[in-house]
Amino acid sequence: MKLLTAFKLACFGLWSNRYRVVSAMMGVVIGMFAVIVLTAIAIGVKDTLMKQMGSLGAEQILVMPGRVLDTANGQKDLLSGLTSVPSTLTYEDAQAVENVPNVKTVTPQLETVNFVEYEDKNVQSAIVGTTDQYSRVQHAKLAEGRFFTKEEQQAEAKVVVVGNNIHDSLLGKNEVPDAEEGSSTNVVESKPWWKRILNKILGEEVSAEETSLVGKKIMINEETYEVIGVLAPNATLGSSTDNNVVMPIETALTTTDMKNLTKMIVEASSLDVVDEVDGAVFNALAANHSEIDFSVVKQDQMLGALGKVTSILQVMLVGINATALLISGTGIMNVMVMSVRERTREIGIRKALGATTFEIMMQFFFETLLLCIIGGAVGIGLGYAFIEVWNGNIEIFALVLPMWAVKLALYTSIAIGSLVGIYPALKAASMKPSKALRFE
Amino acid sequence: MIDLKDVRKHYRSGNLKSEVLRGVNLQVKQGEYVAIMGKSGSGKSTMLNLLGTLDVLDKGEYKLAGKSVHKMSRGKRVRLRNEEIGFVFQHFQLIPNLSVFQNVLLPLTYGRKRLGKKKARVLALLDEMGLLDKKNQKPDRLSGGEKQRVAIARALVNEPGLILADEPTGSLDEETTENILSLFDRVHEQGATIVVITHDQEVADRAGRILRLQNGVLV
Ligand SMILES: Nc1ncnc2c1ncn2[C@@H]1O[C@H](COP(=O)(O)OP(=O)(O)OP(=O)(O)O)[C@@H](O)[C@H]1O
Ligand SMILES: [Mg+2]
Repeated sequence: MKLLTAFKLACFGLWSNRYRVVSAMMGVVIGMFAVIVLTAIAIGVKDTLMKQMGSLGAEQILVMPGRVLDTANGQKDLLSGLTSVPSTLTYEDAQAVENVPNVKTVTPQLETVNFVEYEDKNVQSAIVGTTDQYSRVQHAKLAEGRFFTKEEQQAEAKVVVVGNNIHDSLLGKNEVPDAEEGSSTNVVESKPWWKRILNKILGEEVSAEETSLVGKKIMINEETYEVIGVLAPNATLGSSTDNNVVMPIETALTTTDMKNLTKMIVEASSLDVVDEVDGAVFNALAANHSEIDFSVVKQDQMLGALGKVTSILQVMLVGINATALLISGTGIMNVMVMSVRERTREIGIRKALGATTFEIMMQFFFETLLLCIIGGAVGIGLGYAFIEVWNGNIEIFALVLPMWAVKLALYTSIAIGSLVGIYPALKAASMKPSKALRFE
Repeated sequence: MIDLKDVRKHYRSGNLKSEVLRGVNLQVKQGEYVAIMGKSGSGKSTMLNLLGTLDVLDKGEYKLAGKSVHKMSRGKRVRLRNEEIGFVFQHFQLIPNLSVFQNVLLPLTYGRKRLGKKKARVLALLDEMGLLDKKNQKPDRLSGGEKQRVAIARALVNEPGLILADEPTGSLDEETTENILSLFDRVHEQGATIVVITHDQEVADRAGRILRLQNGVLV
């Protein structure tokens, strides 16, 4: 087989020029590394937003602080609302909304960051003041104990439900330094294996003494609260409840200095009245506010914004990838053209000894192709390793590497190799043996 | 075996046209040993390249073993070159990245001849040349005489009927030259046709016939 011979020669050619080959490959390696990592970042950001925004049900309406601008085509530009602004929403606003017809429930949320103490442990967490509807609206299941009731809310009972991470940290089950740094988006699942095993060992040692905080007293800002429940681990990013300490909103208003709502989730009694309720909620709030410094958002608007974010990310991704590929592709081509020039004599000798134009062409074509594939594979591997390390150590948001991105990167390196391989191969093949042999 | 009729070849570099061969006629019989002499730049290598089908003539006819080479397609010429001609180039022309063994194997890599045990053939040839212990060395570790023997082994590996050698003793001392020349004698005895280019009268004297290239013609 001629092709097989050419392929073998290509492998050999790369091997005997391996130092130059490695430097040539750097372009592709970096290119593919960038493609993989940037794709993972884009997908990670998208997923984070999805989970943050997409948890809104079809019959739910989100009230957020800050005004969402209307774009020229009449659509709400939700991206402008993503930036944090001081909230002017109050519990009174929530009560006003409760009186709007066809509103089933209103779940206001107060949020602040504070230290929670239990025995000698001191953990920073997100303190959330809300209603008994919280666990249902936030899709947070209980691992142990119970959630507080409407009665406890009215009685301003000093009871709390703690998130899974806080619970374990207070018991010393997991030594998460990040929890002390106030990161409210711990991703439990992405800890490296050794950390998880370590947690298990440490956790088991401690759990011999204490396994649950339910019924125990914890301190927040000099006040004592009773733990009545523990939320199940909830890996959803952004809206994760793992680092939350949840208490009745009435309690929060009297025992802490929180006043303004970070958000409010309004449920309409049925899908048919969502639009109507949306308008009514807006009017009810507008009556309480001197200016429109809040936003009322329905699920379909949410999804629209999400689509916009996604398409921005996609455009960005395509642009960055194309640039990375262009750079690595031209780099490889330069090196191969140089290589062909340097090996003019070799080409002349091979032709003089009976190599056909086709065989020479395929030899150099395969060299370029292999160079790109190997470089691409190395880049993908490094990118994958980077993502693993990132997800194991950095918890701002998780990088997500979909299989299609790996395939895309691999196919593109093949495509690039084929494309930029043509020119050097033709150059090599078109050499006249008699001239090539005279080349010094 | 070889029949050149009124062969012409010129090169052009820029506006300058230099006529190197101006009507070369040459007949070489099967099994003959011919030496070609001539001044540097007289066109000896040019003529040998034409004989070796590495280049094409401008005008004239070239028949090799009855086949009209000047009318052949490029593919056919490549095949002819690979199977029928053994080339010993001026300045060895070994591929530096390849070992001695791989260099000698080259014509077989591209060959379509079913030579059975190709590797055994190479090893036997290297043994005959006294190069077996150097088979894994790179060419730059060899002496001039050793390099030339590798080049000759490579020319012989496909068992060609015609051997073309361009200054095979060019940069070698007397003893090594003698060594190489006796190798040629052996190949000649085995029935090969040899055309050798040299500027060394002693080398030329080993051939059965000496021709001179002057002003673009053979005399
Ligand atoms: N590919 C080429 N392009 C342009 N000019 C060439 C080419 N090949 C040979 N020539 C010219 O043709 C002439 C003959 O060259 P050739 O190599 O055949 O000489 P030669 O007799 O082999 O000389 P030497 O003994 O130095 O090897 C020289 O003037 C050379 O410069
Ligand atoms: Mg010459």
